[in-house]
Amino acid sequence: MIAGAVVLGLLITGIVYAGGTRRSRRYRPGRPFSFIPVWFLAAPGRQIVAGSTGQRELTASASASLGADHSAQVARAGRGETGGASDRW
Amino acid sequence: MTAGDLTHAQAHAEPAPRQWHPEVLDGPLTTRQLLRVDEALRLADASTGLTFSVYIGDLEEPVRLHAEKLHEQLADPDRSVLLAISPNQRVLEIVTGATTRRRLFDRDCKLAALSMAAAFGGGDLGGGIVAGLAQLAEHAGRA
Repeated sequence: MIAGAVVLGLLITGIVYAGGTRRSRRYRPGRPFSFIPVWFLAAPGRQIVAGSTGQRELTASASASLGADHSAQVARAGRGETGGASDRW
Repeated sequence: MTAGDLTHAQAHAEPAPRQWHPEVLDGPLTTRQLLRVDEALRLADASTGLTFSVYIGDLEEPVRLHAEKLHEQLADPDRSVLLAISPNQRVLEIVTGATTRRRLFDRDCKLAALSMAAAFGGGDLGGGIVAGLAQLAEHAGRA
């Protein structure tokens, strides 16, 4: 009887522990969330993205290698050619 | 998910079979969320004639400038809208091109951003993106 309870307890502990070590896919704000960055491009056939071959999804390295012409980007942004909005949560 | 199954030009013709790059399955969205985002992108593009893109990943500081860099990489940035989301930094940037912003005003983007941020704050990345795309498409109107 006692041995059965011990085995059952170990079994439950094992299941809980195994579940806890599995990588969670759910995003929880404020907690570390590791993932491979993705970029969904609407029309990859028409869009050329640095470091890509027209894939819909790109890795972070591709985005990190996007143009090093920082000053030109700043100047362009300063001309107000783009719009939009920003937010945080 | 391949480039083909999310290509809007192809969506009008014949749906391509679903194929997935292995790396996207390690991305921030579940399979179900990917499908929902896929559909939302397709609908937004088809209804507005604009080009919507979604980037999910870290953004370098200053984040706005990095988002604008990404937007610039698109083939037709003037007619494109980029949603750049950094879950770990808890930052969202919506970037519209010169032509696009005449149909999609900054205040419209701000409203969409508020909705998206609310969903992201609740941990719903996919839902926030879908809601944001729907709002932006609605504000942009039909092509």
